[in-house]
Amino acid sequence: MSDPVALVDAQRVLGLFAQGIGGRYLHLKPTQSLGGSFRPQSVTTDGAAIFLPEQVDLFETRRDNLGFYRIAVLHQIGLIEAGTYAFTLETARERIPGLPAERPRLGDAGVGLARFFGLWPQPSLMRLLFMLCEDLRIDRRIARLYPGARSDLARAMRHALAQRPAFETLSLRAARLEALLRYTLGVPRAAACEALQALDPHGPLPAMLDALDALEPRCADVYDSAQAALRCYRLVAGLAAIETDEDPDASDPGQRSSSAAPAPPGPGQATPDEDEPVDDYPDIEFRGEVMPELVQRQMRAAQIEAQLANAGVGSIDPQQVTDQGERQMRRQLEADRVALYRAFGHLDAGSRSFLIDEWDFHGQRYLRGWCRLFERRLKGEDFEFIDRVRQRHGALARRIKRQFMSMRPESYRRERPVRDGEQLEIDALVEQVVRRRTGQPPDDRVYMRRERGQREVACALLLDMSASTDYPVPQPTSAGEDTAADTTNGRQDPAEEEDPYLWAAQRSPDDIAAEQPEPRRVIDVARESLALMCEALDTLGDSHAVYGFSGYGRDEVEFYVAKEFTEKLGARSWAAIAQMKPRRSTRMGAAIRHASAKLRAHEARTRLLIVISDGFPEDHDYGPDRNDHEYGIQDTALALREAERDGVRTFCVTVDRAGRDYLRRMCEPDRYMVIDEIEELPEALTKVYRAMTR
Amino acid sequence: MIAQTLPPNDEGHALRNEPWYLPQRDEIALFDAAYAARLPVLLKGPTGCGKTRFVEHMAWRLYRQQRSARRQLDIPLLTVACHEDLTATDLVGRHLLAGDQTVWMDGPLTRAVRSGAICYLDEVVEARKDTTVVVHALSDHRRLLPIEKTGELLDAHPDFLLVISYNPGYQSVLKDLKPSTRQRFVSIEFDYPAPEQEAMIIAHESGAEPQLAQTLARIGLMVRNLKEHGFEEGVSTRLLVYAAQLTVGGIEPRRACDVAIARAVTDDRDVQQAIAEIVDIVLP
Repeated sequence: MSDPVALVDAQRVLGLFAQGIGGRYLHLKPTQSLGGSFRPQSVTTDGAAIFLPEQVDLFETRRDNLGFYRIAVLHQIGLIEAGTYAFTLETARERIPGLPAERPRLGDAGVGLARFFGLWPQPSLMRLLFMLCEDLRIDRRIARLYPGARSDLARAMRHALAQRPAFETLSLRAARLEALLRYTLGVPRAAACEALQALDPHGPLPAMLDALDALEPRCADVYDSAQAALRCYRLVAGLAAIETDEDPDASDPGQRSSSAAPAPPGPGQATPDEDEPVDDYPDIEFRGEVMPELVQRQMRAAQIEAQLANAGVGSIDPQQVTDQGERQMRRQLEADRVALYRAFGHLDAGSRSFLIDEWDFHGQRYLRGWCRLFERRLKGEDFEFIDRVRQRHGALARRIKRQFMSMRPESYRRERPVRDGEQLEIDALVEQVVRRRTGQPPDDRVYMRRERGQREVACALLLDMSASTDYPVPQPTSAGEDTAADTTNGRQDPAEEEDPYLWAAQRSPDDIAAEQPEPRRVIDVARESLALMCEALDTLGDSHAVYGFSGYGRDEVEFYVAKEFTEKLGARSWAAIAQMKPRRSTRMGAAIRHASAKLRAHEARTRLLIVISDGFPEDHDYGPDRNDHEYGIQDTALALREAERDGVRTFCVTVDRAGRDYLRRMCEPDRYMVIDEIEELPEALTKVYRAMTR
Repeated sequence: MIAQTLPPNDEGHALRNEPWYLPQRDEIALFDAAYAARLPVLLKGPTGCGKTRFVEHMAWRLYRQQRSARRQLDIPLLTVACHEDLTATDLVGRHLLAGDQTVWMDGPLTRAVRSGAICYLDEVVEARKDTTVVVHALSDHRRLLPIEKTGELLDAHPDFLLVISYNPGYQSVLKDLKPSTRQRFVSIEFDYPAPEQEAMIIAHESGAEPQLAQTLARIGLMVRNLKEHGFEEGVSTRLLVYAAQLTVGGIEPRRACDVAIARAVTDDRDVQQAIAEIVDIVLP
């Protein structure tokens, strides 16, 4: 009987564990979610996320199965921390003399490790040997730094050893590699040699194991691994050459141990055929199948993105130089993205992700960790947005502010009786005199004090940023027409767009409607309403946050943060609100659950969540059938009820005139509002807010 | 006088023995220089990183060392832990009713001003706004304390020094020092010490073996990586010392870390478990 651990259950703890150990946030995701050729049971990383099996059921106890996850995470963090991905070919050349020159190639050669592997006729053999050395180095480091993890490590190694193929089933080269690998899994040197003795009596294994000795010292780094891998490579590849075609170059044994140029023949001979595939070589589960050259690409791409994002801010380079450098960077970025996309499918770096439950109305059960929600910060550069809002809505802004001012609690409340204050409290004084006359112990609280009243309200504004908010606001003249149907039926189908990944890479959604001056869209009015609300709430002194949500599918719920409770309202918040743009679908339940969790983490007496939407909850996989709106409505209804249960008061405002139908079923009777004219939104929000915090 | 029989409501500190303090940077020299010029000092830093201990240590250096001219002062340091109901009168003093008469009783600030002690207002942002204004006249060249209730205008004793502390990370938006207050002080910033130093502190304060102290310092570093999850600040040096003290007292180290660290910094079960996992792999 075993007691498996599911990633869904362990994900948050493991994520925090990884952040504590590694000092930075890493997504943890199921390997199954990868688009590449990864086995679902394997572990891997793209540099921003660690991919883990959905479930671990290798050992009997839950504790031991969790221990497997721990070791897998530690190993991946170890690769990052111990500098595997910091490898550069330039440093390698300084440290390892006699590396051959790079062969010219078309296109982008990739980053450090890819170039290093590419130096050899058999790049995949070199990669395998290099990762073997790195895995050994990292596991030793884990055992040294985390003594409490040694038993987990030993258990994972024992398990891995038990899964290894028998030598007899392998080719000679594979058997040599296998013996080397077993050594890295803790098989003693003598035993490893002995096991291979019958098959390969005078083989290179002892010399290969000697090479690994260089990884013993504490200070061994990635270049020591590269050098050890190189020695092993020469031994393995060199011998293969002798055995097959009696390569005269390779038969000179003196050359092997020296640091002279390696065996590889000239560029002409290095055909891909020579690179005997090693990919079918079974991986060690807890070490995973890591492609370090791709991780380096991911890291470079992230770095370039950050540089591009920062460019223009404080950049003093002349225009031309910047442009040229930028073009070069963009080309590199594009190359990296394509390479990564081929290997991993969709990537999402630089934002946090959360697993959120969903209510399956048909099955009447919760789907645990069903949705993956990505939390992203909105950053904008439109610093004039707020001035435009103030100009356009000057009178309205003043009116709203005035209304909010009238909500201010009495600026002062009287505290009485107290030991100290501005005025004597006559009643208490009389009482005190009486007590003294009657010989009772005195009570010196005879003053009255004015205290500034405090409002303890925290309000989260959650805006639907679905594609339909891109629709123009109907002109007041055509108010009679029923535009609601258009809004809901006419949604853009995101599936019809280009591949979302490339789409995001090539054109930012900001470009879509930026140029056309008018007409005003639903999102414009919503954004302006939010801005007015924020300004009013700021005068009132209530803490508030502005979030938006959209997404496409359960694996990509997007949650945008324009302003957090803890931030001051300032230029950055305004620019972020201006950046709220129409995106994709409306998976409302997950967004409400996440917003409610954020609200609960914020200390306040009254917590308020106002959802502003323009249609019913909808996503392509929100329910078994795309046209089945009931599933989404039921999930949203339950998410709202959960929030109420947890002490968050909720309110839904919709600008969808057909909204009454479904809002009636989603919300409590006094917890929703349908507004006919979107221009009424600012004042509607004000009313709602006043009613809710009274 | 009845006032003398009333217990003082602050923590006067006689400082007979030298409080141990391990300098992080040049804060001792800075404080010495600030004291020499009688410049008020603001200590910024997260909770439990050693601000209070530093003030105690400095008070001992300035008032209790062999060659100090101020050795005769009974209470060289008056500490007031500020809270949101702390009023100006709590600091300055008040009239108390005692039997048939009203008795004036000096608050801790007034006593320090009169006697020439150091007055340390801990977590000063927690106090009501009017409280911080009281110290304005004291913290510039005037060095005056106006006592409104008695009409007295008190000149500060030449040895008097005002020290305040505040924690910028904690609820910084809701509570912040006014610029007019902040700009009267020399600001010395504190953070949790580097792991090697923190290990020395833990070992010294708890009597733990250096090995255990180093491990706890590493745990501290890792737990601080989680600080935005459910708790506002990382685990304090103080809590790490507690964990060491419990271990020295015979509690199993993992259990000691559980009660002194994981459960002390957060109520979030997942974060607690993540901390427990970190502790588990780092401890032997």
